[in-house]
Amino acid sequence: MLRGGRGAVAALRRAAGSRGAGGQGRGQALEPSLLRFLVCPLSKRPLRYDESTNELINEELGIAYPVIDGIPNMIPEAARTTRKKPPADEQQFTLTGCYS
Amino acid sequence: MAAAGLGPARLFLGRRRGAMRALLGLARGLASGPQTHFGFQNVSEEERREKIYQVFENVAEKYDVMNDSMTLGIHRVWKDILVHKMNPSPGTLLVDVAGGTGDIAFRFINYVHSIRERQLQQKLKRHQNLSWQEISKSYEEEKVKPLGDSQVVVCDINKEMLKVGKQRAQHLGYSEGLSWVLGNAEELPFDDDKFDVYTIAFGIRNVTRIDLALQEAYRVLKPGGRFLCLEFSHVSNPLLSRLYDLYSFQVIPVLGEIIAGDWKSYQYLVESIRRFPPQADGRT
Repeated sequence: MLRGGRGAVAALRRAAGSRGAGGQGRGQALEPSLLRFLVCPLSKRPLRYDESTNELINEELGIAYPVIDGIPNMIPEAARTTRKKPPADEQQFTLTGCYS
Repeated sequence: MAAAGLGPARLFLGRRRGAMRALLGLARGLASGPQTHFGFQNVSEEERREKIYQVFENVAEKYDVMNDSMTLGIHRVWKDILVHKMNPSPGTLLVDVAGGTGDIAFRFINYVHSIRERQLQQKLKRHQNLSWQEISKSYEEEKVKPLGDSQVVVCDINKEMLKVGKQRAQHLGYSEGLSWVLGNAEELPFDDDKFDVYTIAFGIRNVTRIDLALQEAYRVLKPGGRFLCLEFSHVSNPLLSRLYDLYSFQVIPVLGEIIAGDWKSYQYLVESIRRFPPQADGRT
């Protein structure tokens, strides 16, 4: 869903430019209590919270979910890839992993 | 959800195993191929998701005003009943799906808070010969953990609805034990067996793949966890049914236009209620 991606990028720009109440990096930081529940919606595997970029990172799939205004955006279409070129078999995983 | 002032709401409470299987059977029947419905129109699944997203993007700001004027405030009663049926004890972990503006979450917090207060009062009453230090220590503990480890996570797919919810929370002073996640009910970003209760109030009929949402609910609930679904149902009484039709299709979209400047969104909301299967099907 293209809209999700464009919206997330636009929102990130807004967050970066905003006064961002008490958060580091881009806008408000993630609520720490959420970390005990959150996983990647695609693989259901654990995520690493990166405070400096305010993102939740799935190292295995090489994707990062943004945190905007303190709210983690866990929609797969909104995630950005952390690698320059994801390997072919990983792309296959994301395709089959969604709708079975 | 806005619409249907005269219509009844049904509360579906399911224990994890048998009830889920029954619902899944029903839901698979609904998920028929790539064609699905948007109100009374036939559209592709992708189109349906986009249209529904737009509906809630449009109504988010006025959502609470519309709910009150369309149901004459009755939706508040239904939501109160939901939380009373839930009867959460302190320490309960709740995930409220499609709960964008926070109605269920706030009620949950209020309920647990009052249980905690009552527990504290009873504790102090029982121990009449406590020293002043011991009494003030109890009050201090209460201040630090007003909810006693209870937590509610509000998950919604719509950014605007969550934004409104977060603003309301700030305005009303809710912060402890409350968090917000942008996520898809069909593909939840939560680990297995985490929550004691899963609620979805007036949200499930807006999910495109209900079977996936139910599978996800089953996954994230702990064994023995509860699934609580609040949704509009059908009116059996024929006279009431005609009045309800009149109100739904003649009054509500007009109200939508006057109050929110958006006829089409409210037309969708009314139609989606009619398309949703009646309560008897949920039991088979």
